[in-house]
Amino acid sequence: MTDQTLAYSPLLDTNRVRLKWVAAALVALGTVYLLPDVLSNYWLRTFISSTALAIGSLSVSLLFAQLGMVSLAQFALLGVGGWFALRISHGFGVPFEVALLTGGIAAAAFGLIVGLPALRMRGLYLAIITLMMAGAIQVLISAFGFPDGGTGMLGKSTGARIMMARPYLAQTDEAYFRYAMVVLAMCYGVVFVHMRGRPGRAWAMIRRSEVCALSGGVHIVAYKVWAFTLSGFLAGIAGGLLAGGVGQLDGSAFPASQSIMLFALTIVGGAFSWIGPIIAGLMLRAFPALLNDFHVDGNIATIVFGAGLLHALMTAPRGIAGQIQDAAGAFRKRFVR
Amino acid sequence: MPDFTPFLVSGLATAATYVLSAVGIVVLYRASGVVNFSQGALGALAAFVSWSIVEHGGPEPVAWCAGVFVSTALAFLYGRALAPRLAFSDPVMRAVATLSVALILLGFMGYVWGELPRRLRLPTDTMSFELIGVRVTATRAVAFALAVLATVAVMVFLARSRLGLQMRALANNRDLSALLGVRVLRADGYAWVISGGLAGVSGILLADLQRLSGQTLTFAVIPAISAAVIGRFSSLPATVAGGVAIGACEALLTPVPVVGPFRTAVPFVFAVAALLWMQRRFSFVYR
Repeated sequence: MTDQTLAYSPLLDTNRVRLKWVAAALVALGTVYLLPDVLSNYWLRTFISSTALAIGSLSVSLLFAQLGMVSLAQFALLGVGGWFALRISHGFGVPFEVALLTGGIAAAAFGLIVGLPALRMRGLYLAIITLMMAGAIQVLISAFGFPDGGTGMLGKSTGARIMMARPYLAQTDEAYFRYAMVVLAMCYGVVFVHMRGRPGRAWAMIRRSEVCALSGGVHIVAYKVWAFTLSGFLAGIAGGLLAGGVGQLDGSAFPASQSIMLFALTIVGGAFSWIGPIIAGLMLRAFPALLNDFHVDGNIATIVFGAGLLHALMTAPRGIAGQIQDAAGAFRKRFVR
Repeated sequence: MPDFTPFLVSGLATAATYVLSAVGIVVLYRASGVVNFSQGALGALAAFVSWSIVEHGGPEPVAWCAGVFVSTALAFLYGRALAPRLAFSDPVMRAVATLSVALILLGFMGYVWGELPRRLRLPTDTMSFELIGVRVTATRAVAFALAVLATVAVMVFLARSRLGLQMRALANNRDLSALLGVRVLRADGYAWVISGGLAGVSGILLADLQRLSGQTLTFAVIPAISAAVIGRFSSLPATVAGGVAIGACEALLTPVPVVGPFRTAVPFVFAVAALLWMQRRFSFVYR
């Protein structure tokens, strides 16, 4: 009897997995095709920002879930990426994709240089250094401002502000939303490839025990640095995407508190699940927009997020995504054989 | 060459508020192992409460006391009710939990008081005296004196009193101290009270010296944490030196043309330099 169930179970498993993936793909396609058409202009812009911030949150969750590293500077790195993307786009008139990649690489380099001293120390120091980094970048950004089509190193124009050129394929808001979702999917792809491959195994080993990893021949510093660079790159991409969505960036929109909020919401959303960053992106932009619709003060959102973080840390370490998965598991146990 | 003396005087006063806050952070970390990122937010709340009471015609001394009391009580409540639930998780997670307190307070202050440009006025602002050719307002002198007083008091308290001994024991080894009969929660509670009180005093002074804004005061925790990093979260004299150096450098850079706008990046530079100095010998910290 037991042999039979053993023989049958893999077949059943692959069946279910296939169905699940087909359903997920259908939902994704439906979202990409239908959602932009039914949304109002305001909500379309909100969802574009949410998509960009989901990538930002993915960069936080990559560090946190894979290595247990707490980076409180990811939103500031978003600003760095946005700055370089805008600068390149206005300065050389390059295609959007090139500007996006430049922003990503610049943010990765920036994060790497500043995070390097802390990467060799315990997690607490990384958290502290990155919080200060967020403060320092906030100062830089508010001193320099974002490029808006002017001349010179900083690209500040004195007259009218010029919008960032959007990708050739996505000039309208609807098309840009679809474009942003495709970029989000590609970012997920990059992260999943890493998790399935050699870096993912190394990260898992480091997370379990640094001594073990060291004796297993894993270059701890190199893999930590790689994770940090990759996450900086993702944050930069998110910044470029945000800049393209709005057309310009506001120098006052990157305070250190936003970086804290991004980290908090990644934990609340669920850093250990793929759906967590999407929830975090939605909460970061769509939730305040919803409150705005009901004429509720945006500060209430901050209070809710703070309380949510406290709750997540104490009772639900896997966040909302974990709770959804638990609920789905319970549902399946009850109704699906 | 601009005259740096007035900037030095104002810098030392700001530095004093950083020192007050940083001493609170170090004491708390030594006793309970929590890095309190909400130190600045607690100070901001104290400042706002004082401001409100004065606005509504309350007597000023009562207002200050109420402000410090609110921040102390809140710190104590968090330390007693919520922090123990995280006692067995990572130091990072315990620090991150205080970030959520900072977020809640930030949202609350934004909701109730908003981000209007304000300043908390202390009566000592109008009193002043001359010192080496510079006019020093009494507020600055008071800030400086309070920082010196608080540091000395905390050091004597840790070195001489029984509770201080227990706190040092906890800093050394929590499990062993608990085994030897140190009442962990009680010592923790006192550490939270000290740290909350210092946060309140520092916040009220900073709201007078700079401005009364939730964001600014909440993130005044950055220089304070930086000073604590310089003191490696254990040495009070090094923390004080770090706080003074950061405050003085920030102020002295104000009149310098090119780097002036970037002076608020000073804490970051100091902390990175301190970290590099600490790890000059290669060593892994195993967990």
